[in-house]
Amino acid sequence: MNDIWTNRLSEYLDGELDSAEQAALEAHLATCGACYATLGELKHVVARAKALPDTPPVKDLWAGIRAGITPAQAAVTARPPVRPSARRFAFSVPQLLAASIALALLSGGGVWIASRPQATKAPDTVLLPPSREAAVRQVVWTRNTDAAIADLQTALTQNETKLDTATVRIVRQNLAIIDRAITDARVALQKDPGNAYLNLHLADTMRRKVELLRRVNAMAART
Amino acid sequence: MFATLAAATLLSLAPQRQTDTIIAVPAGASLSVNNFGGGITVHGWNENRVKVHGETGRRGRVEVSLVGNTVVVKTGSREGAPSVIDLEISAPQSMALTLSGTYADITVDGMQGAISAETVNGEVNVKGGKGIITLQSIQGGVTLADASGRIEVNSVNEDVELTNVSGEIKVETTNGEVMLSGIQSSSVDAGTINGDVTYEGTVTDGGSYSFGSHNGDISVSIPERANVTITTATANGDIDASFPLPLTNTTGRHRKTFKIGTGSARMELESFQGDINMRRPQEMRDRIDSKRHEHDRDNDNDNDNDKDSDSDTSFSAHWDVNNAAAYAARYARAYAPAYAKTYAPMYAQKYARAYSRAYSHIQINPQIQVNPRIRVDTASH
Repeated sequence: MNDIWTNRLSEYLDGELDSAEQAALEAHLATCGACYATLGELKHVVARAKALPDTPPVKDLWAGIRAGITPAQAAVTARPPVRPSARRFAFSVPQLLAASIALALLSGGGVWIASRPQATKAPDTVLLPPSREAAVRQVVWTRNTDAAIADLQTALTQNETKLDTATVRIVRQNLAIIDRAITDARVALQKDPGNAYLNLHLADTMRRKVELLRRVNAMAART
Repeated sequence: MFATLAAATLLSLAPQRQTDTIIAVPAGASLSVNNFGGGITVHGWNENRVKVHGETGRRGRVEVSLVGNTVVVKTGSREGAPSVIDLEISAPQSMALTLSGTYADITVDGMQGAISAETVNGEVNVKGGKGIITLQSIQGGVTLADASGRIEVNSVNEDVELTNVSGEIKVETTNGEVMLSGIQSSSVDAGTINGDVTYEGTVTDGGSYSFGSHNGDISVSIPERANVTITTATANGDIDASFPLPLTNTTGRHRKTFKIGTGSARMELESFQGDINMRRPQEMRDRIDSKRHEHDRDNDNDNDNDKDSDSDTSFSAHWDVNNAAAYAARYARAYAPAYAKTYAPMYAQKYARAYSRAYSHIQINPQIQVNPRIRVDTASH
């Protein structure tokens, strides 16, 4: 996720790299499993997103949105004409993390959740609202990831009897360690909400929790 | 406690059975091994066949078959709870390995192919391997040495150590240390939550390196002629280098960027609570050696100084005589309930009869008021 090419992958998918950059990225993909895997995940995200129907909004929201973004111009600018265009998906690093978490859940942990008798809310972190405010995006992202974590924790609680008690104890200790790290990051973020490092650190720590829960749930499923 | 001791005793008294199977393998064949509890040890050799030696106990069994192009080794039990089985396998060096267990220690040496090894409560120790190498444990430490390829190594509650490894490397644990030494790579991503991260290896032009921890220190070696842009971030720690470091940018309160040479490689060093240390390679090697000696002394004295006071962590030790007690206790805990369930019905009546005969001379004084909830059956005496 920290590869220098990571932020160029969505441009690559959209065909927006020039030929030299494209060649360089493709050469890099041949040797970098992380980027290759991320590209695969991105393709899945885009494919899923493209598969969603274009549902028109129940009322015209553009005026309000426009007013919120540029209040001075809103009164004199007409709504831009709507034209059908291909969906374009550009991802920031937190969004990539969110997408990879969501896909991990959908492909691995999601199977576990889906196989449970109780209906659970599927995490909807794949399609993040195209907000211009990083802080808003972060709030939405963490809220959705929290929901996904809650689902996975419920699954773990219901199925931990399938695992050795010592293993369950160790896993819970490690989840507690991650929780403390998440709390630390959140407290720091409250004091410095725009800090890129803290935002990424929180995102990465939450990803670790999701991955640990997913791994343990998958292990219980195999037992 | 009683169940644990009983199970440990039963295990130690169980007669050991041995099985040996040799199977010829076609070129390009792979090996898949699943062993619930015990050990999986694979040695590479120069023959085109696989030899499987199993120490199975009385009830254990080992099945070896060729399925398509894969030699499949499975273990099981003839009855009751899963058996503890130690497998020692010799395989062609180029064979790809898929090894899995639950209470299993996994050891591999002398192999030159892809390796996938996964256990829950046990160590994974691999020496050799090429291609895609994926090693995982939950409760045990993971080590990899003298390997190359696309490497992914994970633990949860223990340390991860890579030595003399080249290729693309991704390492993660939660409650443990990450130690990387003798690394040759242009892509390294290593992180933990609760532990230090140490890196001694190449910093290649155009490469990408990321090291992170929440509660530990990050220590990396920067070769003198490296061309690297280093971004450091720490919320509560210090940044220290044993050589002059030109600061090129500061972003916010926590992030600093340094450019060395042309800065073509990218390196991110991040720790929330810990310090960030940049050292020259020799200095770093000295520190790693010193750390290893400390660790060795700790092992010799059997004085666990790991971060977690949980005694379980000491179970992920190498199998040798010194660790016999820990080994027995570990498996006793794993199997005690199942063994108790199996042996209680089998032996309860026998012991009841034997003891009732042994103590039949004791006369019960009819004047003694017997607790009405205790049944005394004198008919069989």
